[in-house]
Amino acid sequence: MFGGLKEKLKAARNRLGASIEGVAAKQELPVRETRIAEPDTPKAQQKASSPAPTFVDKFKVLIIDRELIVSEKDISEALSELELMLLESDVALPVSEAIIAHVRTNLVGKHRKIGESVDALVVGALKSALLDVLGKGFDLTEYVRTHDRPVKILFTGVNGTGKTTTVAKIGAFLKKNGYTVVIGAGDTYRAGAIEQIGVHAERIGIKIIQHQEGADPSAVIFDAVQYAVSHKIDVVLADTAGRFHTKSNLMNQLEKIRRVMKPDLIVYVDEAVAGNDAIVRAAEFDRVVGADAVVLTKADMDSRGGAAISIAHTIGKPLMFLGTGQGYDDILPFDPAQVVEDLMGSDT
Amino acid sequence: MLDNLSTSLKDALKKLAGKTVIDRAAVDELVKDLQRALISSDVNVKLVMELSKAIRTRSLDEQLPKGTNVREHVLRIVYQELVRLVWASTDVKLEPQTILMAGLQGSGKTTTTAKLARYFQKKGMKVGVICADTFRPGAYDQISTLCAKINVPCFGNPQEKDALKITREGLEHQKDLELIIVDTQGRHALEEDLIGEIIQLNTLTKATHRWLVIDAALGQQASEQARRFHEAIDIDGVIITKMDGTAKGGGALSAVAETKSGIVFIGSGETIEDLERFDPDGFISRLLGMGDLKALAERAEEAIKAENVDVNAMMKGKFTLRDMYTQLEALNKMGPLKQIMGMLPMGSMQLPDGVYDVTSTKMVRYRIIMDSMTPAELDDPALISSSRMQRIARGAGATPDEVRELLKYFKMMQRTLKGLRGGGGKFNMQRLMKRFSGMQ
Repeated sequence: MFGGLKEKLKAARNRLGASIEGVAAKQELPVRETRIAEPDTPKAQQKASSPAPTFVDKFKVLIIDRELIVSEKDISEALSELELMLLESDVALPVSEAIIAHVRTNLVGKHRKIGESVDALVVGALKSALLDVLGKGFDLTEYVRTHDRPVKILFTGVNGTGKTTTVAKIGAFLKKNGYTVVIGAGDTYRAGAIEQIGVHAERIGIKIIQHQEGADPSAVIFDAVQYAVSHKIDVVLADTAGRFHTKSNLMNQLEKIRRVMKPDLIVYVDEAVAGNDAIVRAAEFDRVVGADAVVLTKADMDSRGGAAISIAHTIGKPLMFLGTGQGYDDILPFDPAQVVEDLMGSDT
Repeated sequence: MLDNLSTSLKDALKKLAGKTVIDRAAVDELVKDLQRALISSDVNVKLVMELSKAIRTRSLDEQLPKGTNVREHVLRIVYQELVRLVWASTDVKLEPQTILMAGLQGSGKTTTTAKLARYFQKKGMKVGVICADTFRPGAYDQISTLCAKINVPCFGNPQEKDALKITREGLEHQKDLELIIVDTQGRHALEEDLIGEIIQLNTLTKATHRWLVIDAALGQQASEQARRFHEAIDIDGVIITKMDGTAKGGGALSAVAETKSGIVFIGSGETIEDLERFDPDGFISRLLGMGDLKALAERAEEAIKAENVDVNAMMKGKFTLRDMYTQLEALNKMGPLKQIMGMLPMGSMQLPDGVYDVTSTKMVRYRIIMDSMTPAELDDPALISSSRMQRIARGAGATPDEVRELLKYFKMMQRTLKGLRGGGGKFNMQRLMKRFSGMQ
């Protein structure tokens, strides 16, 4: 899914590289002249360029260390272009700004050896900015292995992001990894939801605990946990009804579910195609019930992965899985280092 | 965060207020803030750039209409450009037709199908629904449950895997009905076999309308997805769903720009009645984070028509208790004062906080007190001495302090109006409203 973003970043990288090269070429000329007339370097010039690296500073690094200093002005245009590209990739506005700020502070004032490749410098700055935002991944199997059974996982999110499908996929994933799973059909609101998760559970061969439509979701999930305890099941997956973070009654209900279930993990599910609203709702869910990990669905819709960056940046929680299709196997553990490496690494 | 944005937009507008000569730098700044507001509302970045370019050019090139300041001028252009984008003719006719629903997974097609069925049913049509979603488990249960609630026949077969076959049978089965809505499974533009399927469904149903359902939270992808759907089945309307969250629905704007169609309906809630016809003004206000201009203008007109504020007297500098009485009444009909002020895009008009403190209960009290005054007192509050105050208080069942408070409030209003008149601003609801309604 990050294909689009990758292309954009590559273009931005070249762009940044070019503008720094341009600076380098420009800077070298006047400096050569001053080298001849070294004693009478005008003091006024030093003052004019402060507080940014002063002329003398630039001069010193160039002569003594044979380095160049990147100034803010040199890269501002290229950076605003990079910001536009992030925005086009669905990275929310405040998050884009944070990333750009990160790249800027990383580049501006940096001493660069004349021989050092500009490309490496830019790649370094972008890489560290993205890694900074994406944080670490989340290894679910490792988590289940190292925690007391049953491991209770609660899924939350707004309507239509794909919670039910994700529960089924993660159930299949855990089953494949040798764990026993029970699903609590906590979406008792939407018509057909219980049937939907029931069919999924039957297909992948997982026990499901369900009540009738309109039942108290806390009760359903409590029963699922009880079932897991008495049958020595490894993992409880609790599906819930989609709800908007603006509906306080529904958010209270979710809070009650959390109180009753006492989940080990709260997984927030959102879609990779969501725009700026992704950060608003992620923050609100995180505030009301908390979130320990994030699953992004619909990552196969040619999206550019901006939502991943936005959400990770906003709530600072790791991305656990990407949903990439309609089949039960269409789920990918998310590895930020790998993703960033993929984005930035192959420049051929 | 969006509050900040709309604030920055208002700040930019404030700078333009009162100016009668177009200031290039200020316009640039406003356009930049506008870009930020639109991008945070998920409007496609390229579209935002095109829009802002057009707005900038028009703002700088067009003659400032007489009697307007730069702020109003620019705001009007912004508004017109946006309305032009979303306001295609999307007449919903009440005649026999077939509607094909299309959209991404989880965008809310099934819920919207039921809402549409309800909408047309309430308009007195005989409606039927076909469930052509053969993929998602529980899809048929969902739509048939919803349809059962509103007594709309729903055709489907959860065992059948061939959407075309179901639809063919469904059309045959429901041929006596006037309006048939075909709900389809969610798909995205890269799933070629599914796109192929919806093309076949379109050919089979000879659908009158092909409506694309867009989640209000959909981001930059909206353009691309809409374009591909449009190529496949010639989308002629967009429905935005989940507008009850905090998402601004900018994706839908990108989608209508791409499909050259308009927004037909807005879904904003979980019950079957939560479907509204699209209203460009409310939508645009939400996009910009600037309050509902049209609704306010309409409500103001309605309220003022009934009351008859003596504008001319006020403009001449005569503002009596009587004027305040009618004005407060008019304002009160539009809702809490502060909210109304918040809705108006008038950065320049800073009223003292005290003006907002008049709650509706207080206004009732004030009215009762004023009812105990003589006509002479209403015209010239200076007449009210302490003995008259006693009399008024007794007559109104109030304390003299309350009467004093009313007079204090009146003086504050009077002072505020005087100040505004001096500063070139015109605190005059009627003319203000006229100008706003003139903008559309």
